Amino acid sequence: MKKFIFKAAALCCALSLSACTSKKAVSVTPPDGSLDKCELRFSWWGGDDRHEATLKTIDLWSKKHPDITITPEYGGWDGWTEKVTAQMKGGTEPDIMQINYDWLITMSPDGKGFYDLDSLSGTLDLSGFDEDTLSFGRADGKLNAVTVSLSGRGLFYNSEAYSAIGADYPRTWSDLIALGESFGSHDAYPLDLDIQSGGTAWYLAVVYIQQKTGRQFITLDGELGFTQEDIRDALDFYKLLEDNHVIRTVKTRTDEDGNAALYQSSEFIGEKVAGVLEWGSAVGKYEAVLPKGVLEAGPLLAGENGNNSGWMIKPSLLYAVSGHTKYPDEAAAFMDLLLNDEECAKILGTTRGIPASRKASSALEKSGALTGLSKESQDILNETDTITISPYMELSRMKSFYNTAIESVSYGTADTEAAAEQMYRSVTEYLEKIKNEDPNLP
Amino acid sequence: MKTRTYRNPVGVSRYTGLLLISPFIIGALLLIIYPFVSSFITGLTDGSSFVGFENYRHILSDENIRSSAAVTLKYAAILVPLKLIVSLAVALLLNMELKGIGIFCTVFYIPSILGANLAVIIMWQYLFTSEGLVNQLLEAVGLSPVSWYGDTDAALFIIVLLRLWEFGSTMIIFLAALRDIPRELYEAARVDGCGRTRAFFSITLPQIRNVIFINLVLQTIAAMQEFNAPYMITGGGPLGSTRTIGMYIYEEMFTYGDEGTANALSWLLFMVIALIVLIMYRTTGRLRREDR
Repeated sequence: MKKFIFKAAALCCALSLSACTSKKAVSVTPPDGSLDKCELRFSWWGGDDRHEATLKTIDLWSKKHPDITITPEYGGWDGWTEKVTAQMKGGTEPDIMQINYDWLITMSPDGKGFYDLDSLSGTLDLSGFDEDTLSFGRADGKLNAVTVSLSGRGLFYNSEAYSAIGADYPRTWSDLIALGESFGSHDAYPLDLDIQSGGTAWYLAVVYIQQKTGRQFITLDGELGFTQEDIRDALDFYKLLEDNHVIRTVKTRTDEDGNAALYQSSEFIGEKVAGVLEWGSAVGKYEAVLPKGVLEAGPLLAGENGNNSGWMIKPSLLYAVSGHTKYPDEAAAFMDLLLNDEECAKILGTTRGIPASRKASSALEKSGALTGLSKESQDILNETDTITISPYMELSRMKSFYNTAIESVSYGTADTEAAAEQMYRSVTEYLEKIKNEDPNLP
Repeated sequence: MKTRTYRNPVGVSRYTGLLLISPFIIGALLLIIYPFVSSFITGLTDGSSFVGFENYRHILSDENIRSSAAVTLKYAAILVPLKLIVSLAVALLLNMELKGIGIFCTVFYIPSILGANLAVIIMWQYLFTSEGLVNQLLEAVGLSPVSWYGDTDAALFIIVLLRLWEFGSTMIIFLAALRDIPRELYEAARVDGCGRTRAFFSITLPQIRNVIFINLVLQTIAAMQEFNAPYMITGGGPLGSTRTIGMYIYEEMFTYGDEGTANALSWLLFMVIALIVLIMYRTTGRLRREDR
């Protein structure tokens, strides 16, 4: 008996060792050009507006293809990356996934993490996309994902709260800082920035310094563009906002909201916090908790000289097909519906931003549905000299460096000089580590 | 001396026993031994290639991990004694042959079933945010409000409070042990003029010391592995004051995708817990042996 258990344990060790030392052989099912009866899983994150619209598109698909069942998997952004990472590591990810920009670096550095969509041209029509837009979804030259929409963070304000105080939406950074006093006298704040899943605190500080210096925080090929002094200045700017009652301190925010997202907090719903920095493609969740038409898009902040550069855009999200899927044609056909189908575009509206697909956006335009905050935010960004966000800036580990710095400056456990030095060192070392680990990276 | 042998009455072969326990063996191999070994080996890699004990070296020199370990030890050191005292106190109350004891037991046990789920988290937010019920009560009695979520010590306290509230399982174990104590002991003591306090220290505690030890070990292990409560309530903040090692492992594995560090850290946590339990066994060995 002992011998038996010993042998079995030894077998386990051997299996573990072999699993560890040999690269997992992923058998890729080639496309066969036909749509067979099957069940597919489709996952996405988002707010309720996106969930409701997407579920309706699945109903639409079911009417067109009753033999191909789509099982939805959806939830909020918090914890979503972790969930999909675990699925990808275990090879149990859904057939079709909504993915984030930086996941291409973490989940498919060699372009083999997701299905090569170029091989699915029989069922997936990409003629409505220009090559620049498609290039966002390429990993090591392979088309791993298709950009759903391009989006940038914009400023959105509670119009009722601003009218009650008699304030105009800020146009320049100094306008914003001046608003702290007038809102402060009403125990309110003109804006809110966070260090949780949104990480907007560091984002706005980066925009400010990018506009001021013309340097990009992290370049598209993963080089740190800021100097240590730039980082310190960005942290000083953040502290200035806190000190002038423009935004809540991290401690106040934590005390008032606990671990809840801003759009779920009574401070935002109750108009104590009157502004938010959010992706145009995801602003719907903030809009939904306020009375209709109360949330409005404001101008992107500029310097006194009118320079409004430094603001950023990126593919707000992309669709990808699992490298393990047994039904690549069917998955591609469903993705085609999501991206190009007129009826589907009308159902989805702008819940994922303004569609990058010309077919979907013209369908929306024809039906007069190309309106709302997403569109306004996109128009404002289009009038601005924007920079494409580096996917490296979005990596989870990088966000932890920003948040540590912001939190320590806010709590006063480090001065901006020390926090900047720490962040500069952490970011430099991490970028170096990523490049050393993966020689395929640029 | 003649050895007595028994004939196998139903003619089962020597492998039948093995066959009968095979579901357990297979389950243990697949679900315990394999992940255990696999985790150790992954801890010696950077996710793809072998790096020896580099992850362990990195862990031991990482300041953030050290501070996370300190948080975990502090959390366990506060929670475990408190939980044992509260659950024993309630068990003693419930042992007093009250009417409707079953209802009380159920009511006290309910929080243990809830765990740290979303409803509980929302309830905690209603209670402990700056405008929450607890601060309103404090202000009503003239005390100044507390920064429960924003202050580093208070944030750890509200997590301790959540787990303390869930004292049902330890209480049930204590209650079962208390009911096993022969009544005659108390009666004899009373005849000899022994008061309630003396009876508690001289009869009750010695009689249930093994159960106290079991609860101590189980609660220490659970506290050292704590993940859910800080993850859901504070997200590890503020300033990492509630980031337990369990949370750290989760973040390394799933947020940052660093399998090597996460698995090596899991093994270190396992070894530390094993060491703590061993020390507990050794230091309380004499006390427990007396009970035999």
